[in-house]
Amino acid sequence: MALRGTGPLHLMKKNIPLIILTLILILLPSIPFAQVQTRLRVIRASNVGAGFDPVLTDVHSQLGSLFNFTSYRLLRDESLSLSLNQPVSISAREGRITIEINLVKLQKSSPELIIRVVREEKEILKTQVRLSPGRTVLIGGPKLREGVIIYAISARF
Amino acid sequence: MKDSCSSISQLLERYFDRQATDEERSLVERHLPICQTCHERLTLLEELRKAIKAPVDEALKEETFPWVWEKIERGIRLGKKPSWQESVRSWLDLSPLLRKKVWIPAVATAIVLALVASPLLFKKTPSYSERSVVEYLESQDYNVMVYESEKAKVTVIWLFEELDPSTS
Amino acid sequence: MNDREVELISRCQQGDQDALKEIFDQYHKKVYRIAYGVVRQREDALDVVQEVFIKLFRSIKNFKGKSAFYTYLYRLAMNTAIDHSRKKKKTTFLSLDEEGGFQPSDGYEKRPDHIAAQKELEEKVRWAIDQLPQDQKATLIYREIEELSYQEISGAMGCSIGTVMSRLHYGRKKLKDLLKDMVKGGGG
Repeated sequence: MALRGTGPLHLMKKNIPLIILTLILILLPSIPFAQVQTRLRVIRASNVGAGFDPVLTDVHSQLGSLFNFTSYRLLRDESLSLSLNQPVSISAREGRITIEINLVKLQKSSPELIIRVVREEKEILKTQVRLSPGRTVLIGGPKLREGVIIYAISARF
Repeated sequence: MKDSCSSISQLLERYFDRQATDEERSLVERHLPICQTCHERLTLLEELRKAIKAPVDEALKEETFPWVWEKIERGIRLGKKPSWQESVRSWLDLSPLLRKKVWIPAVATAIVLALVASPLLFKKTPSYSERSVVEYLESQDYNVMVYESEKAKVTVIWLFEELDPSTS
Repeated sequence: MNDREVELISRCQQGDQDALKEIFDQYHKKVYRIAYGVVRQREDALDVVQEVFIKLFRSIKNFKGKSAFYTYLYRLAMNTAIDHSRKKKKTTFLSLDEEGGFQPSDGYEKRPDHIAAQKELEEKVRWAIDQLPQDQKATLIYREIEELSYQEISGAMGCSIGTVMSRLHYGRKKLKDLLKDMVKGGGG
């Protein structure tokens, strides 16, 4: 008669939940959570007046080397936790222009976003962009009062 | 002759487009050999048609439509969004593992693999290109410029408003 | 519409991509002809073809069968091509660098000067078509490229046959004026 409840097989059976939990804990760091921390800044650039909003110090050199505007003013600074296929919309304070950001794909260090810019309920830009660490995507051009609007988007890894 | 020419010229396009009635067609065909003006008008219509049509025929003759269907499938797929419930459900579905004949060797294999593979999983993999990539973009009313600067570590997408609305 | 087409449309409306593939196999060349007629460039025409069938799959639920299916598809193709054309910046280019080079034994058609003249005409025609009002452009393309009858064009564009004839007449007149240096034949 076979003895029951004493062999290694039985021990394993008994401890299945623990084994599975161990596996999950081991593998946890490598499972990509479907979320990306993104920073979105909404900037108004113009040639009316001169000045650089102090909060924009880190992009000062980028903006200065690319554009000839004399004034850069920060309108919104948002930290967004983007989840897969859950778009987030931000309107400029004046409310006529909205940017919508949607995380559509998540590779290890290159999230892909679909970005839409909508003005007065009409889509004026739709783009799909793959972000990489340390880089900023600037989307700009639409007129905003006496200047233009620039969106600065970067991801935190 | 003049009156006949002016009435025929009104029928000429219908004749040219093969939309004329039998009576209209024979009227035109009787008139053409004796009227240089209408004959030249018809020739001009033919030349115009040739100029519009020939490049299209030529392009189609050489066209193999490479990967077009695959891109359509991809475009349809990109438009589909699985609900979060479906994503979670498929991720959590461990039921195949619970079948008696499967779970014991499966768990044993998984443990061994995890112990072997975890150093590899923690290893830093080479990242994608340092540059952000614009996969695609579209804009109805603006001309768009894309500019990438390695030095400034920035990708610029700039929209230029059209100065004049299209006159067409 | 024949029974097969009705069945394919119904399956497509239920999300069957195999049905869409059959529709694609049947119509993609026609859609390409319309697209090329508007945009006059291969890559753009292929983009339009892709866009049309993606849009078709998404919008086919709205097709109620009140008109012929090809009318619905042609209208979608034309609108997509015109929208695409509007979005893109128009460039005119003329290349004399043909692959293969010119051999003395080649006929006139392969001579660089003839190829250049042909390309110039094609570019001019493209430019001239772009100058036309949208309705005239669409009518001309349906007639000259797809050889639709006046009745079929009126169905595709949702207008009377008289309007079709008028658009054709004024469209041709405008093209003639724009291309008068390049197209042989006289008479006003």
